[in-house]
Amino acid sequence: MLKIVDLEVAYGQMEVLKKINLEVKKGELVSVIGPNGAGKTTLIKTIMGLKDAKAGQIFIEGKEILGMPAWKRAEMGVGYVPEGRRVFGNLTVEENLRVGCYSLNDTKKIQQNIKKVYELFPRLEERKKQLARTMSGGEQQMLAIGRALVMEPRLLLIDEVSMGLMPIMVNLCFKIIKDLNDQGITVMIVEQNANKALKISHRGYVLETGNIVLEDTVEKLRNNDVVQKAYLGG
Amino acid sequence: MLLQQILNGIMIGSVYALTAMGATLIYGILRILDIANAGAYVAGAYFGWFIYLKTGNLVLAFLFSMMITGLIGVLIHRFIYAPILSKPRILPIVPLVASVGLFTLTGDLARLIAGPGTKAYNVDFGVDVINIGKLTVVPAWILIIVLTALLFTVLWLVLNKTKLGLAWRATAEDADIAKAVGINTNSAMALSYILGYGFAAAAGIMVGILYNSITPALGEVPSYKMLSIIVLGGLGSPVGTVIAGLFIGMVETMLSAYNLTFIPKDSVAFIVLILVLLIKPSGLISKTNNI
Ligand SMILES: Nc1ncnc2c1ncn2[C@@H]1O[C@H](COP(=O)(O)OP(=O)(O)OP(=O)(O)O)[C@@H](O)[C@H]1O
Ligand SMILES: [Mg+2]
Repeated sequence: MLKIVDLEVAYGQMEVLKKINLEVKKGELVSVIGPNGAGKTTLIKTIMGLKDAKAGQIFIEGKEILGMPAWKRAEMGVGYVPEGRRVFGNLTVEENLRVGCYSLNDTKKIQQNIKKVYELFPRLEERKKQLARTMSGGEQQMLAIGRALVMEPRLLLIDEVSMGLMPIMVNLCFKIIKDLNDQGITVMIVEQNANKALKISHRGYVLETGNIVLEDTVEKLRNNDVVQKAYLGG
Repeated sequence: MLLQQILNGIMIGSVYALTAMGATLIYGILRILDIANAGAYVAGAYFGWFIYLKTGNLVLAFLFSMMITGLIGVLIHRFIYAPILSKPRILPIVPLVASVGLFTLTGDLARLIAGPGTKAYNVDFGVDVINIGKLTVVPAWILIIVLTALLFTVLWLVLNKTKLGLAWRATAEDADIAKAVGINTNSAMALSYILGYGFAAAAGIMVGILYNSITPALGEVPSYKMLSIIVLGGLGSPVGTVIAGLFIGMVETMLSAYNLTFIPKDSVAFIVLILVLLIKPSGLISKTNNI
């Protein structure tokens, strides 16, 4: 589904990702964990097309996508839940979801997909006429997920879904991500909350200062001494 | 008479708002100050003058001038601003300088092609003035107020009731995320230019009709007054621009009506700008109350 080969990304002179190799197979749920400033957000932005790469290749379903504008990648079925939610604050909840459907043309389909999101998050339906910026952090996170789901992504990129949420919301978000994956959406999550992320994933990567230092199934990662010490608080 | 002055103020203010709207729409999406918007105003005035001269049809003059100027705007974006903005880490001053260059070029082209002198802009409305009670109204004023109201209604409908307008508002708020949800942000940019340059063209024709003349230097005062209006309006807010334009038009009119001419009329916009920025730096309308 997603294959990254020798990817190098820099901000000016500063190398942020150094020859990254990573793969997410169809149907998998993969997490990338790592400390602050490791380059997790940069990785996701580069896959989405919001940051240019210096070298390397990114393939989605076998197709090389570097150089393709972000909206084409979205049309190809890549959904994005950004760090810090970034809902469109001056738009209503419903408008945010309609923006999410931008690449769809079939009105019936659009309505169906929005309805599905409302079924998943009834809270959003109750507040559909409300401006997104007046919603709570948790509600905004639901909206950010909903906005990515309405276009029926086949690959979902999720950046730091747990940030700033209360524990009950964190659990809800992870449960929903797991359910979505069970329904067949391939997912890549990037997280500081390694414990929760690894719990729902099939495989994990550890990213430190721009290098993948470990890659394994979650069972093995959870038993790895280094990972336990550094990320699982044990 | 107060009512007379209010009407006058609304009329002048409408033209200001219309002139500045393009700069607002463009700033809203591209985050650049497009001084060349005042060039669109000059170009539009000349296109309109030429079409009216040839056809004697004012509707055609407005329609075609707005369309041609809007399309030129799209081309300018496509071939000048887009390449500049696609360079990595470009300083905001670079597109600004380009836009000043384009603006100067427009005035000079008008001078070269149409000649340096004043062109008479005689539009025949059939009657010279209309008296409504004590109110004296020039037909051109009605045209200006009604047409501006119409254009702003169209703008409001496009921004709030169409899919493209939704894309525009999303892009104005967060261009990266808009792209990531599948919006081809170039279409939102094209919308800014078509409408923005089209509106400026209409404003140019209106001013030509109002003062019965156009010159290549037509855009000079608007080029800087427009800046003060879009900043007052909260940079990038269409509604704020309408309010700020009307406000400046009204203050200018009142000051000259009541002989407070110790302040030069054209400096009013800047005095108001400085005062407002000292008191409320986000402008009269802040961005969060956008549209
Ligand atoms: N726009 C930018 N300009 C310059 N440097 C940047 C920019 N964005 C990120 N960086 C730098 O790149 C490095 C990686 O940042 P990134 O945001 O990808 O990390 P992260 O792993 O997502 O961190 P966090 O867990 O805090 O979200 C950091 O050193 C950061 O300072
Ligand atoms: Mg991050």
